[in-house]
Amino acid sequence: MAKIKTQIKKTRFRKREKSKIFFNGRLKNKIQGEIEKAKDLKELNEIFDKYLGKRGQISQILKSLKNLPKEKKARIGKETNELKKLLQGKIEQKKSDFALQIKKDKEEWFDITVPGKKPNLGHLNPLTYVKRKVEEIFQSMGFSVIEGPEIENEWYNFDALNIPKEHPARDMWDTLWLKDEKEKLLLRTHTSPVQVRYMEKNNPPLRIVAPGNVYRHEATDPSHEFQLLQLEGLMIGENVSVANFKAIIQEFLIRFFNKDVKIRLRPDFFPFTEPSFDVSMSCFICEGKGCQVCKSTGWLEVAGAGMVHPNVLKNSGILPKKYNSSGWQGWAFGFGLDRLAMMKYKINDIRLFRSGDLRFLIQF
Amino acid sequence: MVFSYNWLQSFFQKRLPKPEKMAEILTMHFAEVEECYPVKYSRGEFKRVQKFSIGRGNDFILDIDIRPNRAGDCFSHIGIAREISAITGLKLKKQDIKIKEDKNLKTKDFVSVEVRDKKACPRYTARVITDVKVGPSPKWLKERLEICGLRSINNIVDITNYVMLEMGQPLHAFDSEKIENSVKKNKKIIVRFAKKGEKIITLDGEKYDLYNDVLVIADEKKPLAIAGIKGGKSAEIDLKTKTIIIESANFNPKVIRFGSKMIDLKTDASVRFEHGIDPNLTEYAINRAVYLVQKIAGGKITKGLTDVYPKKNLAKKIKLDLNYIKNLLGLKIPNTEIVNILKRLDFKAKTGSTKIDVVVPTFRIDVSLPEDLIEEIGRIYGYEKIPFVFPVAALTPPQKNLDIFWEELTKDFLKELGFTEVYNYSFISQKDAENFNYNNKELIEIENPISSDFQYLRPTLIINLLKNIDKNYKNFKEIKIFELGKVFNKTFKEKKMLSGAITGNDFYFAKGIIDSLFQKIGIANVWYDEYHPTPEMSKNSMWHPKKCAEIKLNSEEIGFLGEISQQIKIPRTIVFDIDFEKLSKLASEEQEYKPLSRYPAAIRDIAILVPFNVKVEEVLNVIYNVGGPLIRDVDLFDIYQGEELPEGKKNLAFHIIYQAEDRTLSSEEIDNLQGKIIRSLEENLEWQVRK
Repeated sequence: MAKIKTQIKKTRFRKREKSKIFFNGRLKNKIQGEIEKAKDLKELNEIFDKYLGKRGQISQILKSLKNLPKEKKARIGKETNELKKLLQGKIEQKKSDFALQIKKDKEEWFDITVPGKKPNLGHLNPLTYVKRKVEEIFQSMGFSVIEGPEIENEWYNFDALNIPKEHPARDMWDTLWLKDEKEKLLLRTHTSPVQVRYMEKNNPPLRIVAPGNVYRHEATDPSHEFQLLQLEGLMIGENVSVANFKAIIQEFLIRFFNKDVKIRLRPDFFPFTEPSFDVSMSCFICEGKGCQVCKSTGWLEVAGAGMVHPNVLKNSGILPKKYNSSGWQGWAFGFGLDRLAMMKYKINDIRLFRSGDLRFLIQF
Repeated sequence: MVFSYNWLQSFFQKRLPKPEKMAEILTMHFAEVEECYPVKYSRGEFKRVQKFSIGRGNDFILDIDIRPNRAGDCFSHIGIAREISAITGLKLKKQDIKIKEDKNLKTKDFVSVEVRDKKACPRYTARVITDVKVGPSPKWLKERLEICGLRSINNIVDITNYVMLEMGQPLHAFDSEKIENSVKKNKKIIVRFAKKGEKIITLDGEKYDLYNDVLVIADEKKPLAIAGIKGGKSAEIDLKTKTIIIESANFNPKVIRFGSKMIDLKTDASVRFEHGIDPNLTEYAINRAVYLVQKIAGGKITKGLTDVYPKKNLAKKIKLDLNYIKNLLGLKIPNTEIVNILKRLDFKAKTGSTKIDVVVPTFRIDVSLPEDLIEEIGRIYGYEKIPFVFPVAALTPPQKNLDIFWEELTKDFLKELGFTEVYNYSFISQKDAENFNYNNKELIEIENPISSDFQYLRPTLIINLLKNIDKNYKNFKEIKIFELGKVFNKTFKEKKMLSGAITGNDFYFAKGIIDSLFQKIGIANVWYDEYHPTPEMSKNSMWHPKKCAEIKLNSEEIGFLGEISQQIKIPRTIVFDIDFEKLSKLASEEQEYKPLSRYPAAIRDIAILVPFNVKVEEVLNVIYNVGGPLIRDVDLFDIYQGEELPEGKKNLAFHIIYQAEDRTLSSEEIDNLQGKIIRSLEENLEWQVRK
């Protein structure tokens, strides 16, 4: 198609060439214009071929000179040759402009789609983030953060917490015992000993949370672990009630999950609290409608809690309420930070936290 | 523990709520119903089915997580029925146990009981039935046992088990003929601790060695049963048995728990006894049992109950302050409602103006304090009715926990430097201890470890960090990890350490990290001392023999830094190990701004050729000493040791930055000082400043 068009153009040109042949001035402007407008090397070459090539218009003119009278031949010949030179110069100039432009384009060319270079960032264990968040929320409600030892004796881990020796209630905590110690020692099975240690040294009213490692003699699987991070809470005052506990724990969960969750208490048993509760919250994923996470119940168990048993207060040197006399009362709770982290980040295997696997850790 | 819905229904005249509804009610007011599912009786056993169909042999199972405090009264169908009645208000049917005793046969002519230790056995009751017909149980009885997971044996044994499931009192039946005795007819039962070397073969044919602390039921010659745990073969009921003695006794929970642990045998009976049962229950249960025996197996009940019960269990009385109920729950419950709830739970209650006098039924061994009663009232009334009320408390700001403050700051700092925080288990294995040359005597060993991988408490964080490196190296070449956690040994018991491990970088990189950390937490004057281990220690040391240092503050060691020895098969790793407790004590938030000098600084370089074993610090000391306060900083920018240099020499190159605080230093002044430094350096004949 393109070929046919050129053919037609050429024929037209031949028809007009005689009448236009002497209008070099106009031709010059025309060609110069075309050179100016040329967008790339290819177009420039086309222009060259069209006018200066073997079969180009100017070459044709020069060829046709032999038919002209001598005088005219010399004049037109000269003019045409000058024109040829001028145009050749122009084209060369344009060519080198193009070359420069290409070089410049090449140098300046920039690809914004290349992936960004990631800085070598560090990461904290997700349990650290969860622990911080929890501590921060409770601190904002006036609770101090307290720590205690991981190696405990039977008094603080059991007896003081109203869990007598040789009572089946002790079976609720499968304990890791230490060998060959003068005193019978163990790895604390819960953070509750911190309650007793703190109350021994501080007078009510008091508000604390105590985070830390706890250990259980337990087989592990995706939802069981023998070493856990737990958080204990304790509030003691003159009239600290179950109603207060409900408000504080619900407020905490709302702030932690940033969702309008509801809590509910069910009866439970712990030797160190009376009454004792199991604390559940409405499933923050399905909002109580029932889903896989909450096993279609609409509720997730989050903590164990209760009103501190008067024996625990006594064992910690604090006067409990008695009939017709003043004294102290309050509540305590405990929950697993591992479980909270699993819920928050939708982690399906509790063992990942202590796997040391960087592929897991660098996601946080 | 599993319960039959139909069985529970049998205690009521009116219909119970549907099983799922019942499960919910019990969960909200009593104990969690873990599962509730329909079952169908077919081919001799109960099978779980998808859908309940009406008809005989169809039932629901409620699997209830009875907490240990309620085992005493609720490891029984009647206990659960009582709870249902209290929660729903439905009335329990009156149970009448009217037994027909034979006036001509006297129990005391058949059996006598001697309890040698009254503490171990607070009550022992026995009854005798003669002329029984032992045979298979009726279908209804079999089914009730089987739905609760018990096997049917014969009518007599089945009845004892049935009464246990119904009332919570374990019973035992002996074949009277098989009891050996010196006096004819009257059989003597002795409750005593086992003698050394005594053995018994139990009903299931297992042989047990008995120990001094195991309580037994014996005749004059041998043990007949392990008290409260399991019966023996010797006095077993068989098809020929004619006269039976039924035992309904109460045993000390600790004795049974201890015995059960000693011989490693847990049974339906031992579990109930070790939680404690009301001694008053033995009588109701034995009467219920003989009533059923007579009804099912015939026979004559002898007259009278043999009963050794020296110290009667009396009902406890509790004064309950009405105000305290309101204060503790944070909710005012009407007095009439409180009394109603207590009565529905079989408590006796009388209200005064400010208090209620409560009498606790003896089967509620878990209730002895006002708080126990408040729990009863609260849970039956419904915890969901308690409002949400924020506490009124003094506006005291929480104490700042500095340990945690420094801990978090340090973690963030290391994170900023590209470290990743790991949490490892607090344990190491025996093999770890050997590989890293830890003395077992120093380590704290676990008596009952989870597995041999977790046999000792970790004496250092390093071992597990190196394992992390090893494990991650296939995916990551440049690793920077740290852990902040407790380590343990017999001297200091437990303390917090901060340790890190680095691959793909060298000793000086790690040193720089530590210097920056100390700067960040405001500890100045930290220096590094050479480590001189004893030859014994260095032989198996985990450290590179040269590339390690003690981190010191004044004369106190606060940490260690070093490359891990090539003997430990691991990619080249640098480790730091810092006593975090010392660190957080020394740390300070105080930081003072040092004014920027208004006068320009000038930099001059010095290159010095020194013997290879000259420490940079030695050269620096000379520069600082001579330069004095006009030297703001000296920066080592190159250490070179190569072929072009004379043998045994190295080249150190420094930028020295001169600056005064009060004037612009002239170049003359600087040149003079620089010259002085050079001359001082060259006083050491082996040192040569390159010009």
